[in-house]
Amino acid sequence: MKKNKGKANTTSEKEFVFEFRAGKHNCVLKVPLQFPVQENISDLHGRLMLLHKIPCYIEKDLKTSLSSFVEKETILDYDREAELALQRLTTGDVDINQLTNAWTRSYVETTLEHARPEEPSWDEDFADVYHELIHSPASDTLLNLEHNYFVSISELISERDMELKKLQERQASEMDKVMHELGNTLSDHDVNAVASQHFDAQQVLENKWASELKQVTGIQKHEYQQWVISLHQDMQKSNNSSQITEEIKVQPSQLLEVADSGARMFEEQPLLEESFTIHLGAQLKTMHNLRLVRADVLDFCKHRRHGSGGAKLRRLQTALSLYSSSLCGLVLLVDNRVNSYSGIKREFATVAKECTDFHFPFLEAQLDEVQQVLLYARAQRSSKQKEQPEIPRNGGDDKSKNVERNPSNILPGEFYISRHSNLSEVHAVFHLCVDDNVRSGNITARDPAIMGLRNILKVCCTHDVTTVTVPLLLVHDMSEEMTIPWCLKRAELVFKCVKGFMMEMASWDGGISRTVQFLVPNISEEMFYQLSNMLPQIFRVSSTLTLTSKH
Amino acid sequence: MRPLKDAQLGAFTFFASALPHDVCGSNGLPLTPNSIKILGRFQILKTVTHPRLCQYVDISRGKHERLIVVAEHFESSLSDFPKQGKKASTEKVLQVAYEVLEGLEFMNKHGMVHRALSAHNVLMDCKGNVKLAKFGLYHMTDHGADVDFPIGYPSYLAPEVIAQGSFHLSDSSHDEAPLPSGSKTDVWSLGVLLFELCAGRRLLQNIEISERLKFILTLGCMDDIVTVLAEEHGCLDAIKELPENVLELLTKCLTFLPSKRPTPAELLRDPVFDGVSCLYTPFKKPVSLFSSSLRCAHLELPEDISDLCKDDDEDYLSERAINEVYHLWCLAGGDLEKELTNKGIIQSKPPICTLANFVLEDGESFGQRRDRSFLLDDTTVTLSLCQLGNIEGCSREAYYPLLEDEQSSLPQSNSSNELSTTVRLPLIIRERDTEYQLIRIILFDRLLKAYPYKKNLVWKEARVDIPPLVRGLVWAALLGIEGDIQAKYESTDKDTPIPTDRQIEVDIPRCHQYDELLSSPQGHIKFRRVLKAWVVSHPDLVYWQGLDSLCAPFLYLNFNNEALAYACMSAFIPKYLYNFFLKDNSHVIQEYLTVFSQMIAFHDPELSNHLNEIGFIPDLYAIPWFLTMFTRKSFFFILTM
Repeated sequence: MKKNKGKANTTSEKEFVFEFRAGKHNCVLKVPLQFPVQENISDLHGRLMLLHKIPCYIEKDLKTSLSSFVEKETILDYDREAELALQRLTTGDVDINQLTNAWTRSYVETTLEHARPEEPSWDEDFADVYHELIHSPASDTLLNLEHNYFVSISELISERDMELKKLQERQASEMDKVMHELGNTLSDHDVNAVASQHFDAQQVLENKWASELKQVTGIQKHEYQQWVISLHQDMQKSNNSSQITEEIKVQPSQLLEVADSGARMFEEQPLLEESFTIHLGAQLKTMHNLRLVRADVLDFCKHRRHGSGGAKLRRLQTALSLYSSSLCGLVLLVDNRVNSYSGIKREFATVAKECTDFHFPFLEAQLDEVQQVLLYARAQRSSKQKEQPEIPRNGGDDKSKNVERNPSNILPGEFYISRHSNLSEVHAVFHLCVDDNVRSGNITARDPAIMGLRNILKVCCTHDVTTVTVPLLLVHDMSEEMTIPWCLKRAELVFKCVKGFMMEMASWDGGISRTVQFLVPNISEEMFYQLSNMLPQIFRVSSTLTLTSKH
Repeated sequence: MRPLKDAQLGAFTFFASALPHDVCGSNGLPLTPNSIKILGRFQILKTVTHPRLCQYVDISRGKHERLIVVAEHFESSLSDFPKQGKKASTEKVLQVAYEVLEGLEFMNKHGMVHRALSAHNVLMDCKGNVKLAKFGLYHMTDHGADVDFPIGYPSYLAPEVIAQGSFHLSDSSHDEAPLPSGSKTDVWSLGVLLFELCAGRRLLQNIEISERLKFILTLGCMDDIVTVLAEEHGCLDAIKELPENVLELLTKCLTFLPSKRPTPAELLRDPVFDGVSCLYTPFKKPVSLFSSSLRCAHLELPEDISDLCKDDDEDYLSERAINEVYHLWCLAGGDLEKELTNKGIIQSKPPICTLANFVLEDGESFGQRRDRSFLLDDTTVTLSLCQLGNIEGCSREAYYPLLEDEQSSLPQSNSSNELSTTVRLPLIIRERDTEYQLIRIILFDRLLKAYPYKKNLVWKEARVDIPPLVRGLVWAALLGIEGDIQAKYESTDKDTPIPTDRQIEVDIPRCHQYDELLSSPQGHIKFRRVLKAWVVSHPDLVYWQGLDSLCAPFLYLNFNNEALAYACMSAFIPKYLYNFFLKDNSHVIQEYLTVFSQMIAFHDPELSNHLNEIGFIPDLYAIPWFLTMFTRKSFFFILTM
């Protein structure tokens, strides 16, 4: 649209004059023409012939003179514009340095020939190596190694939990004793002293464990990466790698035994789950899969500690697709601070720490990076707004105040993304910021949370996230005010909005088939079936139809 | 299209720029992706055929707004000259200049400007003749507006192009895109190119881009640009030795002010080419199938007919048209994206590594590392035609079937047994069989060349099947289109507003918009013109909703030939939908519906009874079926019948 504005300034009207003789009459044809000429010359010619009833014997003359007129005037226009631009340079209206720098930038930023050479990136090299290995016979070994590391971490964690528990018990009994003596030999002051001593002791222990865990995971990550690289080198060296594959194959069976020794301690909780295949689009239909699941959001992240066969397969699946173009994403609803101190964020961080991430930075490091980027984005935005203050934004005042108060907080509808290789079914987590509004009943399709969902789906589109899990009710746990009508209303809204966004997505990516999982928290079975009945009313569920051709 | 001959097929790829976040079109519908706009504008390039231009063959869309363009390609280009450190001879310089200008003049006639003229875009065929490559890039990207990268190469940019600025997304100070360039910018680029040929070295090679551009701009203050350039590059002697006419040509090309610089057409008729121009015959456009002039008017047979068979090398495939060869290559399993990936032109990073860190509410993302694989690499990759090896077994008779022999419809070939079994296979398999398609395409091509004389044979063969590549023309032949359709179409007034405009305007953005061609802006324009032409030229009939669906297949098949689409539609309607588009068409439709319900009753009495019982009369559901000849629901199904 910017272009139209530019063009509009330069349109001009010119008159085409054509003289001819018809019998004894001298006739003159005058046609005003808009420049630059948009329409086809032969069409214009045909129209003139028809409109002015021009005799056919001058048809050819008219055409040649018309086209040469248009050609000449167009060249004149081009010349005038070009010389104006050159003149602006000589008069100094346009700064020559600025101009050439703009050109340089656009060449450097968009063409490979002029771009700065790429600095080698460890991440990407490792990504290539890993992707190759995981699609080779070595994948089993890799997984087992990962699992071993996982087991040792979880042993550490259980040890930590045990020690913490012991400490707490000891402290409780101590406290009991102290309370018993309260008023006799000890004063309030002493009790407080003991309490603060306990707190300190707990802190010290927690910190000790935290640093130990961090150290162990750091070592694991380093070892793992070294091992992967060296394995890859070995494989490349001996192309007839029969020996190595033997080596690889011997190892796992031992490992499996270790892993399976304490297996099947407890059964998984039965999930409620229903799948649908749907068609979107009015004329050309695209097929997608939808799934309605009742589960805890962190179930998609947690590894079953004593893995059964299914858990291992799931793990393989996640590892295989990590560097592929079919990623899995999860939408996590968070508050407006970028950290992992409270609520679902803390729980998620705990899960993310249960297993070492061998590929991406630890969650804290990723969040720090997000915080940096966020500050940069705010600075960028505010400088842009100063430049163009007239841009009206709905509720802009309100928001900008909010931002000014604390620029490091995020706003509802904004989200940050963390990447993980250590979660059971998820590669990317979209941390979508929501406020208390989502708990009330009356949110609309223009709500920031919904717009955030749309942007998440858009990112899914541009970055090949083909499976995405969305909390259907936009909450992670139920509370009293969430009645049955509230749930139904909310589910309908989210279903309809997601349907709209999916149709929009089809125009962005040409309708690649996707899986969208709608996650509901702990609701009654009856409620679940009500929701699963609602879904086919909103989405068109495909029914099988067999067409046979006669050819 | 011209035969392939010694040319090769080349492919190059680029990205269309992404659309801004959260912007809607003026009609409230989502914006058309830039890649579709480019795809629509590309189509006309397929018809720009000239011996000095590389023939464009096809364009295809990939993931994430990627576009891959297929065109005629040659391995050697003018950029090989300065590399070898030798200067071109005077004759060579004049020849190159003249041939490039021929190509440019032809483009200009079609309203196109090259803008990306450079040594490596001037290819040389085996006979040493010039072929301009990438000449359509500036046109298909709407003067560079639909792509992020600038079109053209820094050393070759004309001063006025530099002065008009470059449009860059991250730069908010430029509110408007630069104005489109005129044909004279190419003349400057040609001047630089010729200078390089004469000097035997690259111009402004080792300087930074901004310095290069500044240097070009400062040339405006110089009197004698050629001398200044020569001094700068230390080749004054070589330039001084040049003959008078070459020096004059250089001076004319490298004129700083556009108003004083000649256009390609003017330069072509300049006296400097007096010695060269006589060697060339002006290019005559081959007469199309439907025109008023005689198709054989300029046919010249040699004295001795056997001369024709003399240069009979065994490579019959290279005598086929480029688009046919490409079509067969695709059928034989050619995959553009794979070819480009193999050559390292398409590199992709794992998407998980390029995820953004943070996204604002309006969808703007931050913290995303710029992916190098999205940068422009305009190397052209030669497609290897080795997949087509298996059809080289076809004999000469397969390539030149005899049409007079009424007995066998299929020519005898090595594998004629196989072919006769292929005929009995389902259509969908036949359409993917390379050898079968080759033979059918050749057969139809020859039949169409003999149209209308061979009309009956076209009918007969069309009953077997129609190869998708030639469907547009075969349908026209089946509908009996004849005469100068172009002139008839041009003389129809398609511009003056009429009352039906509003309805057409509403219907077009809802008609088969999942299709790339029909949803492109070019497609909409053509759609509107063909529909209007039909409405205006049939005053006794009116536009009923559904006519758009009926028009769609014809436009789709003849996208570059509106006149033919219009002619086909005009011939189709009286033949199959007679009086359906009367203002009061109720009794015509009633007649159809009655026949239809009787047919149901005859073929499936049970169903008919049931429908009658529940009162589900055909009026409720079948009217659009007949009104649009089923095109609304089954557009592509119709196209494969």
